[in-house]
Amino acid sequence: MQKNLPHICPSCAATLKVKSLVCEKCHTEVNGVFGLPLLASLTTQEQDFIIDFVKSSGSLKIMAQKLGLSYPTVRNLLDDIIQKIETNQTNQKTGTK
Amino acid sequence: MKKWLFNPFVYIAGARALVVGCIVMLLTAVIGFYSHTHFDGVIDLHFGKVSPLSYHLLEQLIDWACIVIVFFIAGKIFSRSSIRFVDVAGTLAFARWVLVFPTLIGFAINAPATLPHDTNEILKLVTPAMICYGLVSLVFIIWMIALMYNAFTISCNLKGGKATGVFIAALLAAEILSKIAIHFLYHDIPGIYEKNIIGAHLAN
Repeated sequence: MQKNLPHICPSCAATLKVKSLVCEKCHTEVNGVFGLPLLASLTTQEQDFIIDFVKSSGSLKIMAQKLGLSYPTVRNLLDDIIQKIETNQTNQKTGTK
Repeated sequence: MKKWLFNPFVYIAGARALVVGCIVMLLTAVIGFYSHTHFDGVIDLHFGKVSPLSYHLLEQLIDWACIVIVFFIAGKIFSRSSIRFVDVAGTLAFARWVLVFPTLIGFAINAPATLPHDTNEILKLVTPAMICYGLVSLVFIIWMIALMYNAFTISCNLKGGKATGVFIAALLAAEILSKIAIHFLYHDIPGIYEKNIIGAHLAN
C-alpha cells in the first residue's frame, strides 16, 4: 500500500515539518526541524502530472497527446496545480494551512 | 458516453473542433435552407420563413461570431489562464453540432412563411403536433446551451459560480448582438428578401 505523505496537521491545520530522518541501512537518525518541499504537498496524481510535464519538455501539446485530452483541458490542469502551489507557498510563509 | 455527449471538449478542442464545427454549421445551414429552419439569434430557432441559402449561411456565421467574440472578451477579462482564441472559437463551433437535429424537425413542420395578423388564424396554427415539435426542438437548444457552457468553462478555465454568472451575462450579450446583426441582415436589403420569398413560393 502506498502511503500519502501528510503535510497538514490534523489537529490545528498548520503545515507539518519533518522532525526525524533515518538511514534504512545503518539506522542512523537525524533529528531537527526540516520543511517539506512544496511538491510534497501535492497529490500523487498532481506530482505524476508534473513529472510527465517535465519529461515532455514542458510541452502542453505533447502532454495532451500523451493523456488523450484536449489542449485547454491539460492547460487547465496545469493552471490548477500552479494555483495550488502558489496557495501552498503563501501558507508556508505564513505557517497556516 | 455522457462526457462525449455533454463535454466532448475534454478530448477535442482547438483547430480540430473548429474544422468539425465549421462543417457542421455548413451542413446545418444547407439542411435549414431546405427545411426553412432559421437560427436568427444565438439561441433562437424559428421555422417557416423562406430565404436564400446565403441568409442561412450568414445566420450561422453571425450567431457563431457573436458568441465567440463576446465569450473570448469575457474569458480575457475574468480568466486567470492564458486562453487561446482558437480554443474558444473551436469549442463553440463544435457545440453547435446538435442544431442539425432541429433542422431535420423543420421538414415535419408546415409553418407559414409569415405569421397571419389575425389571432384566430395564429391559434389555428398551434396544433398538438406543432407543440410537440417545438418542445423537442427546445430540448436540442437546451442541449446546445449545456455544450456551450462546457465549451466556455474549458476554453476559458472558469469554474463554479463565477463561470455560471459570466456565462449567463455573456450569452445574453451575444444574443442581443446577434439579434441586432441579423435584424440588419434582413432589413437592410428588404427588396432582395421579399423577391426571394415570392420566388421561393413560385418555385414551390
